[in-house]
Amino acid sequence: MATASQRTFVDRFPDEAAVVKANFLVAFVALGIGAFFGLVQTLHRTNIVRVIDSADYYTMLTGHGVLLAIVFTIFFLCGFFHWAIARSLDRPAESKLFSWAWFGLMTTGSALAAIAILGGLVPNLGISADVLFTFYAPLQAHPIFYIGLAMFIVATWLAGADWFLSYRVWRKDHEGERIPLQTFMVLTTMIMWYIATIGVAVSVVFFLIPWSLGLIPSVNPLLTRTLFWYFAHPIVYFWLMPAYMMWYTILPKLSGGRLFSDPLARVVFLLFLLLSTPVGIHHQYLDPGIAEGFKFIAMTNTMFLLLPSLLTAFTAVASMEHGARQRGGEGYFRWLGALPWRDPAFTGMAFAGILFAAGGFSGMINAGMNINYLIHNTLWVPGHFHLTVGTAVALTMMAGSYWLVPQLTGTKLYSRPIGLLQVTMWFIGMVFMSNAMHRAGLAGIPRRTAEPQYQNFDFVTPIGSIFELRVQIALGGTLLFLSVVLFLFNMLLTSLGEESDRPVDEYLPAPLSGAEGSPRILDNLTMWTGIAVLLVILAYTLPVAAIIQNGGGLFGGGLPVPATISAGLDLATTALTGAVNTLVGVIA
Amino acid sequence: MEIHAYEKLWLALALVLIVGFIGTITYGAAGAGIDMIDDKGGTVDPTTLDDHPKFGDPGIEKTGENQYDVYVVTRQFVFEPGTTQPIRVPEGSTVTFHVTAADVIHGFEVVGTNANTMAIPGQVAEFTVEFDEPGEYGLLCNEYCGSGHHVMEGKLVVMEQSEFDSWYEQQQQEEEN
Amino acid sequence: MAVDSTAEGSAASPALRADGSGGVPADAATQNSSSEPPVDSIVGTADDGIVRQIDHDDFDPVGTLVLVLIYMVILLSMWVFMYFIEFLGRGLTVVG
Repeated sequence: MATASQRTFVDRFPDEAAVVKANFLVAFVALGIGAFFGLVQTLHRTNIVRVIDSADYYTMLTGHGVLLAIVFTIFFLCGFFHWAIARSLDRPAESKLFSWAWFGLMTTGSALAAIAILGGLVPNLGISADVLFTFYAPLQAHPIFYIGLAMFIVATWLAGADWFLSYRVWRKDHEGERIPLQTFMVLTTMIMWYIATIGVAVSVVFFLIPWSLGLIPSVNPLLTRTLFWYFAHPIVYFWLMPAYMMWYTILPKLSGGRLFSDPLARVVFLLFLLLSTPVGIHHQYLDPGIAEGFKFIAMTNTMFLLLPSLLTAFTAVASMEHGARQRGGEGYFRWLGALPWRDPAFTGMAFAGILFAAGGFSGMINAGMNINYLIHNTLWVPGHFHLTVGTAVALTMMAGSYWLVPQLTGTKLYSRPIGLLQVTMWFIGMVFMSNAMHRAGLAGIPRRTAEPQYQNFDFVTPIGSIFELRVQIALGGTLLFLSVVLFLFNMLLTSLGEESDRPVDEYLPAPLSGAEGSPRILDNLTMWTGIAVLLVILAYTLPVAAIIQNGGGLFGGGLPVPATISAGLDLATTALTGAVNTLVGVIA
Repeated sequence: MEIHAYEKLWLALALVLIVGFIGTITYGAAGAGIDMIDDKGGTVDPTTLDDHPKFGDPGIEKTGENQYDVYVVTRQFVFEPGTTQPIRVPEGSTVTFHVTAADVIHGFEVVGTNANTMAIPGQVAEFTVEFDEPGEYGLLCNEYCGSGHHVMEGKLVVMEQSEFDSWYEQQQQEEEN
Repeated sequence: MAVDSTAEGSAASPALRADGSGGVPADAATQNSSSEPPVDSIVGTADDGIVRQIDHDDFDPVGTLVLVLIYMVILLSMWVFMYFIEFLGRGLTVVG
């Protein structure tokens, strides 16, 4: 009995483990290629080593962004969520075929987009997609880039359906029970994703695909850009939620403790569901054609979005502290020494959390409406997101793999010391690279530029020198690439290892403060979805209407109409959204 | 719902922090007078920019005592003016920029300053900047705009008043001829 | 360590685990045959180092409070520096 329940995940759910493994495989291949492109770029733009033509820099940059921020993160997420649903509901997926179908569609979509991007490196092929991760029109990619993207998005919708289906079937046998925490997290994240991806789906299907096929002559660039950001800020939380889920449900265990509070974890995920989407305009603070009032609304929503992250910081650290104290830790600070620093899964996640605290600060600057003039489109911004998606998410996923992958392969981690070295190298490499990027951004050095060395002027930095910043960026980027190589090597040898009875300690302890003490309304997903949709409608209806009206209609190219947005209406919307935000704050 | 006292304290501090941030930004807008790029610049048809009364021949135009308008067209991979000719403005002036894009989305960044905007086809970014001392600034495109993005740069020169006046007069005469 | 309905899935039997988490990695040590990598490479064994059980009512995260308060002070001072010195201290600013 006891041995049966202690069997490893692959023994209990062999079919699910196969799907998870396939997702991780695609994720890791993308990680390897994307990281290699990153190495080429870090050496190229700092003028340390230039092996490619500067025009190809943008092809590689597109590849780096799409392969890492879309393919790596989201395939990993799908594998992780598939694991979490089977594990926390303790039931296999309803249809193996359906799981493989969404995986197949997602992989096909990714492959099409990758072909379009990499085609740019082959002269005379006529296929390219040098449009970067943001694919702002009127820059145009080959149609298969957009088609691949659309297939990918649809596949993620199907994956979500797979998990919702499992939940519905589970619910029939478990009337009145609280939703298991990991399932709760998966479902709220997917609801957010459904709301968010409507933006990119509309943009790609109605505008970009017909336009790239020549069916419509032009698009309204501000409209497709706004639809992109409607989708692409919540995607930030789509990356982050699996990391948060690991911090809430796995990190406490890795620390030797228990989750501090289950109810607060639910509140945090609900806040992300509500606030992730009506904030995208904060990426457009310096866009003409959008009234200041709308930017202010986006900012207040964004600032309130700090709340769930700050709560997470407390809960995650408290859960670690619980572990440290159970392991004999004492004092105000000395308990930190009692944490299991020799475990790469723990240490990687802890490092990720530390750098996320720093990235949180630069994110607060990014969120501040007018201070955006200081850093908009400078190297500060990639400095920021290499701490967030590039570390909080990527390093947590790699660290989590040290604990997850043995459950899927039934083999022990090949080398714990290499794992420890890997996460430490990532930490050090990122400290070099991102601090230098932030400082370079303050000096005005632009992001996304192959040769940020100009004829007419020099950049100045108050402390240190521009050369020193370049060296730090190149050194940090190189360490990060080597870290990925070590990670992939360790994963490969782990999967080739011998089967073990106890490949990993899989047991997850119950939270200190369980769900039973929290209001049942937290589990009312229908209601929360309704509020989330309402907030999106409030935040986006007027700006989008104005953009369509003033920007020459849905497809651009029409006659300009003077911009007149009623100031009164503007004020009313600000007040309304502000009130809702306060309400949400109070409920929390 | 039971929340630990320490976490309640943290929650309260976090809310204060958030309100403090929003307060700072509001102070910057209302107190320090920092205006956002918004929709006041209106729109323009990017396909007929050459026929536009202002963007057809972009440059500087005097609108009042120490008041100027500067029209800038961004296109792959130049600022007009800015790249082949620097943008020239006099010291002690208040200059309203009108920046648009002819082909794809560009950026307009006066290096090392807070003058920074997106240039989007069909939209006009209108913003006002005060120039005090004579000097030179770099100008760069900070939004990827194609394979030559990294060569898209220029210069902005703040001239002494007398020097500027004679240059401006000469410009006016050339146009009339 | 009470077993409640929210403990997820079958994920091992908590009762059994509570017995085994007294600090002795018994199962790992006995199951580890010589052909396999050392026990060292098992990830997630922090529970083996538990020397005492601390329950909900006995735990005050005072170390956490100290750390997050330090973080708050850093955030505030960095914000003031960035906004009032780096940003408002710059030469050209959009005023209209």
